[in-house]
Amino acid sequence: MRQYILRRLALAVPTLFLVSVIVFGLMRLMPGDVATRMVEGHGYAKTLDALRRDLGLDRPVHVQYVEWIGNIVLHGDFGRSYWTRQPILEEFVRRFPVTLELALLTILVSVVIGVVVGILSAVRQDSVSDYVGRILAILALSIPYFGLAVVVVVVPSIYFKWTPVWTYVAFTADPLQNLKIMLVPALVFGVTRAGPIMRIMRSALLDVLRQEYIRTAWSKGLSERTIVLRHALKNAMIPVISLIGLQMPLYIGGSVIIESIFRLPGVGLFFFEALGKLDYPVVQSVNLIIAAMVVGLNLAIDLSYAFLDPRIRYR
Amino acid sequence: MHRRLALALFLPLVLALATQAAEAQTPKRGGVLRIAEREAPGLDPHLTISFLSHSYVSLTYSQLVRFPNGPEQKHPADFSILPDLAEKWTVSKDGKVYTFALRKGVRFHNKPPVNGREVTAEDVKYSLERFAAKSGFNTRFEPVGAIEAVDRHTVRITLKEPYAPFLNHLANPSFCVILPREAEEKFKDFNHPDAVIGTGPFVMKSYEKGVKVVFERNPDYFMKGLPYLDGVVIEITPDAAARVAVLRAGKADLPHIWGWVSPEEGKALQKTNPEMVVTPHQVIGQGFIYMRTDQPPFNDVRVRRAVSLAIDRKAWNEALLFGEGCVDSGPVPCALKEWKLDAAKIDPARAKYLTGYDPAEAKKLLAEAGQAKGFTTPIFHWPGYVVPWRSYYELAAENLGKIGITAELKPEEYGKYISTTALGKYEKMAMGPSTPFTEVDDFLYGRFYPELPTNQSRVADAELSKMLLAQRREMDPKKRKQIVDDIQRYLADKAYYVYVPQWPQYVAHPPAVKGFLHHDGYGLGMRLVYTWLDR
Repeated sequence: MRQYILRRLALAVPTLFLVSVIVFGLMRLMPGDVATRMVEGHGYAKTLDALRRDLGLDRPVHVQYVEWIGNIVLHGDFGRSYWTRQPILEEFVRRFPVTLELALLTILVSVVIGVVVGILSAVRQDSVSDYVGRILAILALSIPYFGLAVVVVVVPSIYFKWTPVWTYVAFTADPLQNLKIMLVPALVFGVTRAGPIMRIMRSALLDVLRQEYIRTAWSKGLSERTIVLRHALKNAMIPVISLIGLQMPLYIGGSVIIESIFRLPGVGLFFFEALGKLDYPVVQSVNLIIAAMVVGLNLAIDLSYAFLDPRIRYR
Repeated sequence: MHRRLALALFLPLVLALATQAAEAQTPKRGGVLRIAEREAPGLDPHLTISFLSHSYVSLTYSQLVRFPNGPEQKHPADFSILPDLAEKWTVSKDGKVYTFALRKGVRFHNKPPVNGREVTAEDVKYSLERFAAKSGFNTRFEPVGAIEAVDRHTVRITLKEPYAPFLNHLANPSFCVILPREAEEKFKDFNHPDAVIGTGPFVMKSYEKGVKVVFERNPDYFMKGLPYLDGVVIEITPDAAARVAVLRAGKADLPHIWGWVSPEEGKALQKTNPEMVVTPHQVIGQGFIYMRTDQPPFNDVRVRRAVSLAIDRKAWNEALLFGEGCVDSGPVPCALKEWKLDAAKIDPARAKYLTGYDPAEAKKLLAEAGQAKGFTTPIFHWPGYVVPWRSYYELAAENLGKIGITAELKPEEYGKYISTTALGKYEKMAMGPSTPFTEVDDFLYGRFYPELPTNQSRVADAELSKMLLAQRREMDPKKRKQIVDDIQRYLADKAYYVYVPQWPQYVAHPPAVKGFLHHDGYGLGMRLVYTWLDR
């Protein structure tokens, strides 16, 4: 197990190196130039050259790369934004809890809905509740979350002069107010993400319920509740957990629109705005940090399988 | 008898109403104005050209001179020059030496490291030189020779040549705010919220990134008794639909840094929230088709005239702008009233190439130019501009198709558009809006003088260039206006740019917001000096 973890961590290094090179390269390949973008064509050559020198863009690309990655590896310095000239890590650390909280609440909402409806659907296969559950899942899958978010924000403002948009307050400052602010976005995001979980839950559970150890459990005269919740569910959760793991980057990416509409100061918006402004260091560093997190998270998910199914061994 | 009775009954009512009206007109002190707006990309006024950045920090800074606002302004495009930090100024007879006498005893905000020190001529020199060195707008200062601090309260600016637009540029809140040197020394630039230290009506109290910016009244502001507001909060709201939603829900007083909403949103607001104050303004703005006039086929004036005659501006105005737009939108924008020469005042035979619609003549002109079979051209553009633009591109392509020009829409990513196409680096044809400048020189010299990056149509017309230089060197406003009129007459049938209709912006706020008058001069601080809350 320990060896497995060490090997996985060692493998993460080339992965992250590749990510850094690709992101760095892609940013430079993007059409347009950040200095011109900053002055939108109002500046003339002299100003632009000074600006480029100021931002370090006048040096060869490989020097820029080595400096960026070198500062991260050697000093933990993720650089500064071209636009605000403020340290990136500082802003990331300030914003990350917002996105993390939104992601966790979203997962909570989507898992609770997806798993419960999935179980009901599987246990009562081909009954009315199964059909209702499946229709709801398809419906949730087909509503785009950004559309739902706009409807939830705009419609009550027109008819009730009320809107679920508040000024963000950190959880540490006022937990209740914070949860009140996060609830609606998490519900909107979670409901639309519950669909795939419900479908995977249902099919995995159906699969497990047909296995022989379940038949044995039935023949021992155990109650349906015990069989489903204690014997079948744990094994059926493995694909569901994998799916959540796979969707994790989606929660970060998708949070851009949710954060923008519900004015939550998260990482998604920071990243997205930086992309539009060609703020290379922000895009590169945030990408690298998130890539490192996804690598770590995947490892954690792989390790969690052992807890769910002790037969799984790591070598 | 009846009359007396009526008088006895009505007099108190009339008196009561009169007192109420008087009360309503007396500004109340206090209250915090809440604005829903996107985050500004930075706070240093010289390191960004974003109107958002400039509007944010305009609450905190002053300039040497400024534009009128609130009760001072005659109309939203009133760009007369008022004293700000400079109490008075003189201009030498040859128009080359400006001497400004600073107001005495004006202090910077009481924040470290400046700690309420008095503003001096050295600060003015430092700030203007920093603008000339760093700002993306610094072409405005090309004619400036030397900036000297003559004594503690006198600044002398010597120009290389007479330059009529100079005071307007000094008054523009996007350009020449006065900054304290110590803040740059401590914070490297003016991006850090703690470095935002000015002499303006409000003090930046706190800035929670991505959440809100809090401003409080500057208790030592040099305009006594102003501002009325205790403070201003900008709540960062990136999404446009959410900004209008918070306005409707009473959680914001302005849905945009200047209170702007689109005509569609404005009309919808009037229906759903009849209590809301919604006022349309013809703002300075301009959109055009630009062409490589240095290359075939657009080097032939007949082809350019054909393009202009193909555009059915009235139909666009009806279909997209509720008929409220201005179809005579160039070369000087409709809202720049003091400089605009209406097409109606120009010989109709020439003016038709500015505003006319005549596809039959357009075809004839193309045939004369040897393009009877038509030709194919791309229209480079950025599809992300505000609402009517996407339809504009399509309508332009459709209109051109009717006279035999096959236009292929070529959308570009913003970074590429703004750093290539918008700087005149494109093939054949492109389309987009202009920055709403405050000085007519930017719409004339900036757009038509050879070799400038803002001369997107690559115009090189010796006769025109002579007039362009003459108007910026003419210090007598009346004579300058005559030259500007001549330029507009001259340009009418050249069709170097083909102008498309300009729409009004709607300014929306709840009825409790009083004294908030729209002004086209960027910034926000001075608008809020006269704004008060009736609640």
